[in-house]
Amino acid sequence: MLKKNLLTDLKAYGISNLFAVGIIAFDKYVIVDSHVNISGIFVFSEFIIVPLLMGIISAWFWRNAGLTSRELTGKSFINGIITIAMASIFLGEGSICLIIVSPLLFGSIISGALIGRAMFRRNNNTLNTSIVGLMLIVFVADSLSEHHYENMVSDTILVNAPPQQVWKNVVAFKRIKEKNKYWLFKIGMPSPVESTVEGYYLGAKRKCIFSNGYTFDEKIVTYDENKNLTFAITNQPRDPEIMGHIDIEQGQFLLKDNGNGTTTLVGNSWYKLYVFPTWYYDTWAQSITRNVHLRVMEHIKELSETK
Amino acid sequence: MFRFVTHYIGFLKSVPTLGWLFDGLLKLWAFFTQPALLDWMDEIETEVLKWKRTTSVIHKYGGMQFNYNSKEIGHIHSNGLLDMLLNRSVKAQLMLDGRISDHHTFKNTGWISFYIHSAEDKDYALALLELGYKRLAIKLPD
Repeated sequence: MLKKNLLTDLKAYGISNLFAVGIIAFDKYVIVDSHVNISGIFVFSEFIIVPLLMGIISAWFWRNAGLTSRELTGKSFINGIITIAMASIFLGEGSICLIIVSPLLFGSIISGALIGRAMFRRNNNTLNTSIVGLMLIVFVADSLSEHHYENMVSDTILVNAPPQQVWKNVVAFKRIKEKNKYWLFKIGMPSPVESTVEGYYLGAKRKCIFSNGYTFDEKIVTYDENKNLTFAITNQPRDPEIMGHIDIEQGQFLLKDNGNGTTTLVGNSWYKLYVFPTWYYDTWAQSITRNVHLRVMEHIKELSETK
Repeated sequence: MFRFVTHYIGFLKSVPTLGWLFDGLLKLWAFFTQPALLDWMDEIETEVLKWKRTTSVIHKYGGMQFNYNSKEIGHIHSNGLLDMLLNRSVKAQLMLDGRISDHHTFKNTGWISFYIHSAEDKDYALALLELGYKRLAIKLPD
């Protein structure tokens, strides 16, 4: 009996994960590459519809096992862990990415298993085929749709120093020694530590160095001394945490002289997202960008206010 | 957490599948923090399905929905929150006991909310569902 249950579980995990690998590979290499010509984008369906279908597939194997909700949730959780391990091995995803994606996977796989259990209890094959068919249609339609998303995040800080004193620290700053406060930085996400520049002029090359040694290569495209420093990102590191998911396109520092010896410092970043749905991933992107801004801007404030 | 989500980003429930996704996460949370809750919900489902002409389906925003003749009696989200419709007079009477509250979004209606935190609450939830069932059975006779 135990052996039979184990075999059923292995089939449920194995087939549902193989289905996910197969349909995502089919999507990437057949549907997207030949029709949309934008490979590398991960769409809503891959994070929601595919895990829902995985849950439904696993529920089909467990349909005669009489599982309680507790057992079904536990087994679906294990299924989610296997999926995450496979994403790490086969897609080369970084640990932070996997943490970010995990709520979508776990929530959808568990929901899918519950939907599947309800479907197979009714044993209405026409209805069941319609539900799965509809999900597959949504998957193909979503994959063939154009996906494009850009956004800008802006943050402001007050520096108790005049713009002339702030400017030099905006263009380049020495190593940040302050401990990280943001939880993703604390658990290993690279944080900005230093910025270097080859000169204080328009067109100068700038580097933003992160805690893991990765460097963003930048070029100053607006150099309005004491007012506006804008730089384009010319090369971003091939870090699995960001590669193919987000492109940081441009950064900017605006300095506003408040006329009382203080400066309002505004940090802006423009980025393009390659992972959807944006209602989910852009929330993370904004939070991460905001914390990168604040770490740098608070450091600039500290350096500028030091007599 | 549930209140925060329904109050501030509740409008997202109209995004297809998002309610299911959120309910799946509530189920996972319950699995780790209060696994007995999942058993109580199963027991409620087993009991309700013994009543004549009842069925259970997945609620459109996630959770288990109980129907009488395809008409909703009530639904339980996976954090143990029972939402159901009662007569306003019955609701007013039950509110005096202090165990139920206004529905978390539909205030000033017959809808009520009740959190299941214990085995005793499970019994009370069943009693509430029975009230809803009888209300529909009178309203929609065979």
